[in-house]
Formats: sequence, C-alpha cells, structure tokens
Amino acid sequence: MVDPVKSTKKRAGFVAWLGKERVFRLIPFVIVEGFFLLLLAIPFILTVYISLLKWRANRPFERAYFDGLGSYVKVITTEDFWWALGRTFYFAGTAVILELLIGFFLAMLVYKSFRGRRFYITIFLIPMMVVPVVAGYNFSMIYVDSGPLNQILSPFLEMFGINPRIRWLSHPAAAQWAVILADVWQWTSLTFLIFLSGFSALPQQLTNAARVLGASKWQIFFWVHLPLLKPAIIIAVVIRLMEALKIFDQAVLLTFGGPGTATETIAFFLWRQVWIFNKYSFGAAASVLLLIMFSFLIFYGIHLLVRERAVVQEEQNI
Amino acid sequence: MKKTLANSTKDISLVKRYNLFSYFRHLILLLWSSIVLFPIFWMISTSFKDSGDWVAWPPNWFPSFLGGGYEPTLHNYRQIFAFSSMGEELSREATDQAYTIWGALGDSASIASVSSLIALLLGTFLAYSISRFNVGGKNFRYIILTIRMVPPIVIAIPIVMYYAILIPYATDTLFQIRFSLFDSYIGLSLLYVATTLPFVIWMMLSFIDEVPYTLEHAARIMGSSRLYTLRRVVIPLVAPGMVVTFLFIFILNWSEFLLALTLTQPKVTTMPVLLNKFQSAVEGRLYGPQAAIGTIITIPVVILGVLIQKHLITGFSFGTIRK
Repeated sequence: MVDPVKSTKKRAGFVAWLGKERVFRLIPFVIVEGFFLLLLAIPFILTVYISLLKWRANRPFERAYFDGLGSYVKVITTEDFWWALGRTFYFAGTAVILELLIGFFLAMLVYKSFRGRRFYITIFLIPMMVVPVVAGYNFSMIYVDSGPLNQILSPFLEMFGINPRIRWLSHPAAAQWAVILADVWQWTSLTFLIFLSGFSALPQQLTNAARVLGASKWQIFFWVHLPLLKPAIIIAVVIRLMEALKIFDQAVLLTFGGPGTATETIAFFLWRQVWIFNKYSFGAAASVLLLIMFSFLIFYGIHLLVRERAVVQEEQNI
Repeated sequence: MKKTLANSTKDISLVKRYNLFSYFRHLILLLWSSIVLFPIFWMISTSFKDSGDWVAWPPNWFPSFLGGGYEPTLHNYRQIFAFSSMGEELSREATDQAYTIWGALGDSASIASVSSLIALLLGTFLAYSISRFNVGGKNFRYIILTIRMVPPIVIAIPIVMYYAILIPYATDTLFQIRFSLFDSYIGLSLLYVATTLPFVIWMMLSFIDEVPYTLEHAARIMGSSRLYTLRRVVIPLVAPGMVVTFLFIFILNWSEFLLALTLTQPKVTTMPVLLNKFQSAVEGRLYGPQAAIGTIITIPVVILGVLIQKHLITGFSFGTIRK
C-alpha cells in the first residue's frame, strides 16, 4: 500500500529537488545533450565503424567484412573526390567574393536615408527567403535555350552571326557560372543586410571629426569607415563561406552535376556515391574525412566570429 | 558682389551634383531590384502558361490582357492540385496528367511546424539556462554552433545508416519488432530539431540576455517557484522574440532540401523534394507544374520573411549582429 500523504510528500520533495539551482540549471542542458548524443554521436560512431568495413548497400549487411582503412585509401585515391572538393571551394570562393562586393556596394548606396529606402531594402531581401531549390529552378528557366536571357542577348549575338539559342547549361564553364550566379542572386541579400547594419552603426562623430580635420571623402572611407566595418566584413565572410560550402540545392535543380561532372560539388558527389551507387562504406569514409578536414575550418570560423562579435558589441556599447 | 555670385553658382552645382548622384543611385538600385525580381516574375508567369508557351521562342513575357503573347491559364494549378474537373477526360500525355501535391504540402507543413516548435521549446530553455547559469561552461554556446556549420551531407550519411540499419537492427534484437526511422515523420523532424537548435539558442540568447535579471530576482524573493518565474516573468518578455525565432526556423525547415531528399521518399515527401521529382520525370521536364509548385512554396515563405524582416539578420548571423 502506498501512503498518499507520503507519496505527495515525496513528489513535493522531488519538485523541490528539481527547483534547486544546481539541478534546475542542468535540466535543459541534459535533455539537449542527450538528444544530440542519441541523434548525432551514435550515428557518427556507427559511421566510423562502417567506414572500416567493405560493404555495399545492395548486398545484405551480414556479408560485409572488415577491410581496415581500405575505404579511406579508396577515397583518397579517387580523383573525382578531390576535384569535387576543389570545385566546391572554387564555387564558394567566387560566389562569396561577388556577394561581398555587390552587397557592400548596394549597402553603401542605401544606408543614408532617402525617399524609397525602405522599399528597396524590402525588395533586396526577398531572394534570401526564396527556397533554394526554387531559386535553382528559376535560374534553370532563365538559362533555357529559348529563355529570356538568350532573348535579351539575341540582338548582340545576331550581330555577330551567332544563333541566339545558346544552351548555356550544356557548356561546362557556363554551367559553373550559372550555379555561382544563382548563389550570388540568392545570398547577396544577406551580405547586403550585414553591411547595411554595419554602415548604420558607424559613429557619426568620427566621420565629422575626420571631415573637420580636412580628410577627403575617399580618405574618410578608407581610413575611418573601412576599419570600423572590418568586423562586419569578417562576419559576412565566415557566415557566407560556411553556407556556400554546403552548396547542393541549386546545383541539383540547375544542372544535376552536369554536363559531365562540371558542376559536381562535394555534397552532390557524395550523394551520388551513396544514394545512387550504394557505396556505403565509401561514403562513410568520405564523410569522416570531410568532417576532419572541415573541423579546422569550422573552429577557425567560429574563433573569428567570437572575436568579431566582441568587437561589435563593444562598439555598440560606446 | 562677385564673391556671392561665385558662391551661389557653386551651391547650384552642388545641388546639381547631388541630384545627379540621386538619379544614379536610383538607376542602380532599380537595376538590382529588377535583377532580384525577374526570376520570381518569370516563375510566376510560367506558372500561368500552357505547355506550348513554356519554352516558346521567342519567349512570351506578358499575358494577353497586358498586350503580351500568351493566354494565361490555370491549367498548371489545376494539375498539381488534382482538381476533380480534370478527372476523366485527361489524355495520357504527361503535360495533361493530374499530379497531387496535397500530401507533400501536408508533410512539409506538419514536419516544419512540429520540428520548429520542439526546437523552439528546447532551445529557449537551454538558452535561458546558458544565459542565467552559464551552463556547459563559457564556450558551450560556441560549441553548439559547430552543428550548424558542418555540411549537411556529412550528417546525412551517418544518419541514413543509423535510421535504416542500426535502429531496425537494435529494435529487432531487443523487442522483436523492426522499427525504422527512415522515411518517417519522426526521423526527419528529429533531425530538423537538431539542425535548427543552434539558431534557436543563439537567437533566443540575444533576446534573453536583454531581460534584466533583477525582475526574476524580485519574483523569486516574493516566493514564486523557478518554473513559475520562467512562465510568468521571462516568457512574456521574450514572447515576441520566440515568435520571430519560430518563423525564422520554420522558413529554414520549410526550404530544407538535402536531408529531406536523402532521408525520406517515397512515403514522406516534402515540397522541395516534390519539386525535384518533377525535374527528373521520365517524360521530360514539366516546367509549368514546376513553376506552379515553386510559386506555392515561395509565397508563404516570402510573406513570413517580410514580416520578420528586421530580425532576419539576427537569425542568419547567429545573433552576432543586431539591429
């Protein structure tokens, strides 16, 4: 028999125990950490284990056998893996540079108040919210051989006697630029936004002081504004680069890795290896390797973010 | 006399220069606006075109009632919503078949909203205890960020093995039932919770850090319990922030593609995956229905995004930049 008085007392004691600071503070932490442990850590250990086996998913798992570092050697000696990795960095780098330049320029034009400012800002932000897959689809419509791009170009092309119905996406370099431009179209809005808030936070006194001391507009820009904007620039680079290295969605809809492997990013390459060719142990080894390679980048990126965040907050407090 | 004249001409030229700059600025901004809006405009106009007009040369820019070349039609929308009127008289051509997106629309909406809600609750409480009690040490909030920065394909490969192999195997040996999270609502939602938690924690940290601790202190002294304080003091103050955060991660989950593509199908299908399916249809690309689907996915997200415009920057920059 359970004594009701005792059990309520026990319950009250439990609640009080939960309410203690040293317990209460840990409740959400334990839940989230347990969740991550179950959902991310165990799969990762499993991946390391599978990467040491030789196994393809079209065979039963029981027939897999231990292969040591065989899959790792295979990944490292696969030329396409390195090409895909290099291509990813090339796409991400080019796209991020273009985004930074355009975003910076636009923010510079918009940050002072003038009529229509809010309108422009709202419009410039729209691409960021468009679903990436849809952005890829949109650009595939534009690059189609009888699409609007060719129509706009046709007067020039016909002048030189070229058939205006160019198949942009069948040419490797053009297809690569198509992927890059789709990314630029979508994410310039983010760099624009970051720089806009950077520009709006510029302290007016410093600009005025420099002007009183006789600095020209360009001098003010280079020696006063740019150094103050450095945190915003670094934050934009880190955030955009980390996102751009994931590039997958637009490329699938736009080119599907083609022509050939010209637009195969690392995500697409691995997706094809694992989900189309069923090379599970290859994929596992590759993802372990990638995680190791990326972890350096990630930690450096986070280190930069932390540093610049402190600077930004200091500036805001002044 | 001469001097004042010179001065006034200088003033005029300054005004002129300013006007010139203003025109130049509007010109550039309008140019970029048109670049930004054109792909969306093209998608919406394609969604109203009939199959002959999708890739017609020269392309038709405007519908006939604006003096353009194509007759606007709702055919694509009727196709994807599979309205009954199409029913029997359909030919066997792919462009005339009825497809249904209701399932995918429901899957997308339910997965995105449920996982956003769970992530919001977990993340808010964790953010609260990070902000107030410094749980997990000084660097915990930065360690959380790594989850967001890892490329999703690196997460997807382990997860698919976990869902499709280890969990069925484990449940089979332990409970004699094969239970698989692969291609299930729970599996995808759990993963979305994990990938959006960093965003929630960082956005909510930036909101909770602004709530003065003295308020809670006062409530505690007056004898309210911890949970009561949280519910009646802190949550009401950060409620607007929670709404913004929810909408932000809803947008992210709604547009997520890679994880949905790799971890679901055929049973569970989200909208981006469905859009991709039309891509690789055997019959060739169905531009019109794709455009209609694209329009339907995009419109709610853009509306939500415009609503939380001011906070987008906080979200995307993990709270590093605030307006």
